[in-house]
Amino acid sequence: MDDYTIGVLTNVGLFSFLALSAYLLLVVGEMSFGQQAFFGVGAYAGGVLTALYGVSLPLAALGAMALGALAALAVGLPTLRLKGLYFAMSTLAAAEMARILFELLIFQKTVGGETVGPDGTQGFRGIRWVFERGVEPVEYLAIIYALLAAVLIALLLIERSRLGAVLRSVGSDSELASALGVNVGRLKLGVAAAAGALAALGGVLYAHHNTYIEPRNFDIMLGVHSLAYALIGGLGTALGPLVGVALDIGALEGSQVFGGTRMIVFGGLVAVLLILRPRGLLDERAVQWIKARFS
Amino acid sequence: MLDLAQNTLDGLALGASYSLLALGFTLIFGVLRRMNLSYGPAVLFGCYCATWTHLNFQAGLIALAVVTIAATVLAGAYVERLCFAPHRRGSAVAAMVASFALWMQIEEVAMLAMPRHIYPFPQLFEGAPLQFAGLSLPGDALVMLAATAAVCVLLHRLLYRSRFGLAVRAAIDNPLAASLAGIDLARTFVLVFALASAIGGLAGYLIVASHGQVTPMLGMWSTLKGLLAMMLGGLGSLPGAVLGGLALGLIEAHSQWFFGPQARDLVAYLLLFALLAARPAWMTRWTTIRSAS
Repeated sequence: MDDYTIGVLTNVGLFSFLALSAYLLLVVGEMSFGQQAFFGVGAYAGGVLTALYGVSLPLAALGAMALGALAALAVGLPTLRLKGLYFAMSTLAAAEMARILFELLIFQKTVGGETVGPDGTQGFRGIRWVFERGVEPVEYLAIIYALLAAVLIALLLIERSRLGAVLRSVGSDSELASALGVNVGRLKLGVAAAAGALAALGGVLYAHHNTYIEPRNFDIMLGVHSLAYALIGGLGTALGPLVGVALDIGALEGSQVFGGTRMIVFGGLVAVLLILRPRGLLDERAVQWIKARFS
Repeated sequence: MLDLAQNTLDGLALGASYSLLALGFTLIFGVLRRMNLSYGPAVLFGCYCATWTHLNFQAGLIALAVVTIAATVLAGAYVERLCFAPHRRGSAVAAMVASFALWMQIEEVAMLAMPRHIYPFPQLFEGAPLQFAGLSLPGDALVMLAATAAVCVLLHRLLYRSRFGLAVRAAIDNPLAASLAGIDLARTFVLVFALASAIGGLAGYLIVASHGQVTPMLGMWSTLKGLLAMMLGGLGSLPGAVLGGLALGLIEAHSQWFFGPQARDLVAYLLLFALLAARPAWMTRWTTIRSAS
């Protein structure tokens, strides 16, 4: 594989974590504009742990995921009882606050005669744990996809289980689910925490791929993109968000056919697609059809 | 004390522009119950068309205002056809994501046509600001305040004193009964959308004409400020949108003075977050354009 293909595939993998994070909340009927904040928390936390304190990447990733889950709980606790747009807006406000806090965050240390660490709007340079250990881009790509595969298998198993059915029932009618004895509030909090951890994992991997991050990377555009990916791909299966990411980053950006007009093509495609399939390509009906066909 | 008064005045002038943006946003949300993320980008498109006209034809201020509003309405009509007409009975999330997709599209078209990061725009007033009792108020701020007040009055008249307004209020109260009574809902929604876009275009024109420049950030900026002001004033209420815009302007002006420019946005978002989490009664009371006048 040439470097360009590896780069595109890596990005598809990285943003899939974020799209899955948005998807998880959509499944339980909540729309979040703020998952990019947890992606950012993961990126910053992971970067600080490896670059400033010499923690190994796997440990840093676990730490960042824990922090991402905690941050998601902190946002979800006061807001998850809000309905629809109110919840979406509160997550947007929280995420923009996080971005501004990244801009204000200056936390630098001298490591090996070099000053590293988050430097406010100047960004955070030198997250080189992966680079310094001589991990080849292809190997890093394999690591990303191995993790993504593990997450996907877990999600697909959950979807087949009783828990999956409960989650879907909360998403389609939370009052009915609550009347049937489901603790909707606790379930949604759990999903929000899992989604936060998942976004943070993507963030850690993103930071170590780019070696440089800045607050602007985690703005509202990224959040709405991840929401769009989940919705285009389809809400019927965890594979849906991946289809969305692959379509935009893989097929349109990667092919370079459209050059500077990619967003025009992508935008039009999405709008028309949503008219034809309001719940995405792989919606619940499509998934059932495929299951009936191949089982 | 004088600083406080001056900041309040600046905040009100800034807030008037947010109010105007929020009025257009709220009109769409209040009537269609759908969120139009492409609202700001349509404003950007209008302002870019006016800038293009200015660069090529040296058009006057009024001609530029007309071009801005017309082009914003055109972009709005495109968004309505592709994102809102097909999803009228369907999913609100799908409509919103579709409007985001067109945001990307409109912004890309504008950037391809005029790729520079900043373009000059003829200023509304070149002269010195008005002075009274130690306070100063720039001429364009005065125009902004006057325009916002005028739009409020006209909008109130239109909604509560005309057949069109009656149709709009009926459509909000009970769409089914309204259509049974012979109101053409599709046509009403299209007109509301056009009206909202025209208000957005006017807001955009006044904002870029007082800044004296246009940047591609205007699209996202307009959507975010309009949304923030709309949410602060409750959701979908027109008086709320005006108050929310003014409140946002005041909050920004004062927090910038006390805590600096970065904290300005932080305070605004923090307040919105706290308000949403606490959900005081007034945020939900005004949730629709009231049917009684």
